[in-house]
Amino acid sequence: MPQNADHVLDHFDLFRQPEYREMLANKKKNFENPVAEAELQRVVEWTKTPEYREKNFAREALTVNPAKACQPLGAVFAAVGFEGTVPFVHGSQGCVAYYRSHFSRHFKEPSSCVSSSMTEDAAVFGGLNNMVDGLANTYNLYKPKMISVSTTCMAEVIGDDLNAFIKTAKSKGSVPEAYDVPFAHTPAFVGSHITGYDNVLKGVFEHFWGGKAGTVEKLQRVPNETINFIGGFDPYTVGNLREIKRIFDLMGVEYTMIADNSDVWDTPTDGTFRMFDGGTTIDEMNAAVHAKATISMQEYCTEKTLNYIKSEWDQETVSFNHPISVQATDKFLMEISRITGKPVPDQLKLERGRLVDALADSSAHIHGKKFAIYGDPDLCIGLAEFLMECGGEPTHILATNGGKAWEAKVQAMLDANQFGANCHVYPLRDLWHMRSLLFTEPVDFLIGNTYGKYLERDTGTPLIRIGFPIFDRHHHHRYPVWGYQGGLNVLVWILDRIFEEIDRNTIVPAHSDFSYDIIR
Amino acid sequence: MSSVSATVQDVFNEPACPKNAAKSEKERKKGCTKQLQPGGAAGGCAFDGAKIALQPITDVAHLVHGPIACEGNSWDNRGAYSSGSTLYRTGFTTDINETDVVFGGEKRLYKSIKEIIEKYNPPSVFVYQTCVPAMIGDDIDAVCKAATKKFGKPIVPVNSPGFVGPKNLGNKLAGEALLAHVIGTEEPDFTTPYDVNIIGEYNLAGEMWQVEPLLKEIGFRILSCISGDAKYHEVARAHRARATMMVCSKAMINITRKLEDLYGIPYFEGSFYGIGDMSDSIRQLAQLVIDRGAPPEFMDRAEAVIAREEKRAWERMAEYTPRLKGKKVLLITGGVKSWSVVAALQEVGLEIVGTSVKKSTKEDKERIKELMGDDAHAFDDMSPREMYKMLKDARADIMLSGGRSQFIALKASMPWLDINQERHHAYAGYEGMVDLVKEIDKALYNPIWEQVRMPAPWQNASDTWQAKADAAAAKEAAELAADPAKAEEKRRSKKICKCKTVDLGTIEDAIRANALTTVAQVTEITHAGGGCTSCRGTIDGILADLGVGEIETDPVKLEEKRRATKICNCKSIDRGAIEDAIRANGLTTVAEVTAATQAGGGCTSCCDSIDDILAELVAPAEAAPVAIAAE
Repeated sequence: MPQNADHVLDHFDLFRQPEYREMLANKKKNFENPVAEAELQRVVEWTKTPEYREKNFAREALTVNPAKACQPLGAVFAAVGFEGTVPFVHGSQGCVAYYRSHFSRHFKEPSSCVSSSMTEDAAVFGGLNNMVDGLANTYNLYKPKMISVSTTCMAEVIGDDLNAFIKTAKSKGSVPEAYDVPFAHTPAFVGSHITGYDNVLKGVFEHFWGGKAGTVEKLQRVPNETINFIGGFDPYTVGNLREIKRIFDLMGVEYTMIADNSDVWDTPTDGTFRMFDGGTTIDEMNAAVHAKATISMQEYCTEKTLNYIKSEWDQETVSFNHPISVQATDKFLMEISRITGKPVPDQLKLERGRLVDALADSSAHIHGKKFAIYGDPDLCIGLAEFLMECGGEPTHILATNGGKAWEAKVQAMLDANQFGANCHVYPLRDLWHMRSLLFTEPVDFLIGNTYGKYLERDTGTPLIRIGFPIFDRHHHHRYPVWGYQGGLNVLVWILDRIFEEIDRNTIVPAHSDFSYDIIR
Repeated sequence: MSSVSATVQDVFNEPACPKNAAKSEKERKKGCTKQLQPGGAAGGCAFDGAKIALQPITDVAHLVHGPIACEGNSWDNRGAYSSGSTLYRTGFTTDINETDVVFGGEKRLYKSIKEIIEKYNPPSVFVYQTCVPAMIGDDIDAVCKAATKKFGKPIVPVNSPGFVGPKNLGNKLAGEALLAHVIGTEEPDFTTPYDVNIIGEYNLAGEMWQVEPLLKEIGFRILSCISGDAKYHEVARAHRARATMMVCSKAMINITRKLEDLYGIPYFEGSFYGIGDMSDSIRQLAQLVIDRGAPPEFMDRAEAVIAREEKRAWERMAEYTPRLKGKKVLLITGGVKSWSVVAALQEVGLEIVGTSVKKSTKEDKERIKELMGDDAHAFDDMSPREMYKMLKDARADIMLSGGRSQFIALKASMPWLDINQERHHAYAGYEGMVDLVKEIDKALYNPIWEQVRMPAPWQNASDTWQAKADAAAAKEAAELAADPAKAEEKRRSKKICKCKTVDLGTIEDAIRANALTTVAQVTEITHAGGGCTSCRGTIDGILADLGVGEIETDPVKLEEKRRATKICNCKSIDRGAIEDAIRANGLTTVAEVTAATQAGGGCTSCCDSIDDILAELVAPAEAAPVAIAAE
């Protein structure tokens, strides 16, 4: 056998050895009761047909390869955006391990988060003791400035009352009475990670502005000239929030970044471990109530939060759908300009001109190409707008966590654009649906997260990685996709893939390399 | 006189070039391209010209003798495609260093050739001379000669160091190298009456491959294509072809003409761009081989393919024509493309609102004039501001140009499509025309142009640079209108001869002071027109405007002059000859005129003019002389 103690082969090579190939083939033949190869191929081909697609789309119960994550994940994403804050997840610790690994794999950073470690007895008798002990331990071990409590399904199913539990824990001395412990119920069986983000954010606003669960007076709003900015659940949060700060600084806008997790997910390697870094401070959160307006970059990540701010506090709220295109970025800047009265500075005018220049230089390569997009609702809209601005057709737009309202909004966007004519929006669908779409109505490129690589393998549609999570490519989250600079990055990523595809199609010596050019 | 300068002089003395033939001995020695202006932005050098002309020969090792600069910047930089060997894409250079500069680089060159032969064994090595070894006196001819002897393979020196002149000269020097060392050195295994050369075709973006199958189907054998997708042995056998088609009018005229002089191979200049041009080129090529002994039925084969392909192309383009009809195009290119593309675009209903003639020959310009009817829309150079004005005034919808003008166009908010060498779509032949139309359609309807032209949302409409430019232009116009003296000064300050920096006022003064009547006299006195000679037509116009030279009151001379107007530039046939032929033989169709006079038998772009002449003679009541005088 090729595998022996003197020379151990790893997975890349081991199963490619002839002995293994033979063994696997024999195993299949003699012990796996395989169907005939022709039959296998027939079924494989059948899964590519419109007939199969119809059956696939008739699925009622099963979700296959979902393009969404759970509420608690979004909850943690929001919670780490506050200064010195430990996200405390009331529920089973296994869930929490997922969030941490998920974020670590995407951001290539440690991701601190604790759980109340509920076990079977807690599920029977309630998780109060876990909350009481957990808060005390967290407070003493990590000395956080704030503990943000969210939940997992386990706590939600048995109906644990966070408000009551936290009050009890405080009365039992787990943390000081005046210590900030905002909370939000975030069951995974409702909504998705963007809902969890929304819930935690709303919980934090309610906590600080609305009298800390009835323990202090509500704040008195005295409007001033600052604005609040919320990024939403954003895979590019590190690059994006820094870019937004740069833009606001250039404009001379006074602002508060809400849930600013750009530093905690990009800590330097200089010999100091930072469990916490950056983030929105408690003072900033308190002062944010006086802001002139709150801006959300992602409408569907902040529906409840903005509604709370607007209806309870009569503060203006403005939301966008993950602006990437020139026009969407124009609109964003003009709104900021309108609200703050600050003109768009020369530097940004130059950057706009440069982006338009870059688009004009290269958009011919995107023009007329068909794209399938999946991801979070706002990202899908931002990308579709950007593609149509370049003459690309967002043929399939799919969001597992997009609802009716989102569907209507996307449809209206497609209807209003000549490049949207043959495009369709698919709310509440998954990546197995996308598979059928890619087979029956093929496109030139697929835009989505890392999981899209299986679709790329199955359907041969080249994948452009934009979304969450991106596990198999590094550091893209450090680059902005917002602002004109961000638009430039998205353009480059799309173009890179297009050119790689041209090269891939022309790279075989004496077969296709007649067109293998150095200039593209 | 060294051999390089002798060759350069020989190249300058190109009898097949009408412009050159019109020059005095002294002028001819100065060369045929615009003098380079120190401090001005310049195009490529002679080395580059030679390299790009020969690099498409695919199985040859192209060895650049010089420091890294020359090959480093030119390595594999053109999309000339190969159907076989990819050796031409490998960058070979001697990469000479300081020691070589001091002690000479010949040994290094010899060793480099040796290593290429040992490691790659190509049929030939082309050695390109560059500035540094030329200046230190490396004799590449001697090295190549020694290497040829030693290795038993043709090692070809291409003596075109950058400093001898511009790119166009390099093209020709490359041609000389082929003539001196390659063409005629081998014999084909067999010949046929249908063997042809295609010269000046580089197979950019694989264009030749869109034309080749049709030529083959008709029955032509392309003995040699210089130099697109060429093999060394094919080039060496070019002298046995029956006819030559010359594709790019300026670059390789010397090879074409010398093939005629030395081997009696007739040629014509044609184009593969545009459906009409493509068909005409096939016909002419067929006619040339028939003239040399191929059976006349051969033309039927050609016509059959033409008819089929034209029909197919038109059918496929029909869906675009409604979308393109009436769209206005500004063409910024050079040379042969300026007219061949004009014809092509007009075929699909596009309107040409302007074209540049920067690199075009006088013939090219004439053809443009014939095609577009009005040379007021032909520009030598265009500044971004002029381009913008063009866009605004003429409301051009798109600009077609080479890659370098692209960026100027974009800054001027002008939609743009690449039609020069760095493009990646093949536009030649019938298939190529469909592709070009498809690409123009795509470019015209690309939403990015809307974005490019739309002011930023914060933009105050009166504050754009376009508005400022308009305001400045309007202000200037108003000032000039208010101050006749200043207007006159401005008018007189217009630069007429760019080579010799002579303005309109100087020329007018000279004409008045010395009672000049001919362009030659003006050149004598002012030097205007003594450089590249491209302004001579303008000077002629100035003479006419001043009421000297052109204005002729004697009806006999007037008639003489009218009859002397050149109608067919290819075959050099004037109006008088055509009219006489029509009257004498009672001709009624263009084809008959062509048969009788040869006029229209070249690029065919004058067929419309011949048609007009026929119309005039059939209906003489029309006030034809007035129209001619205006012309």
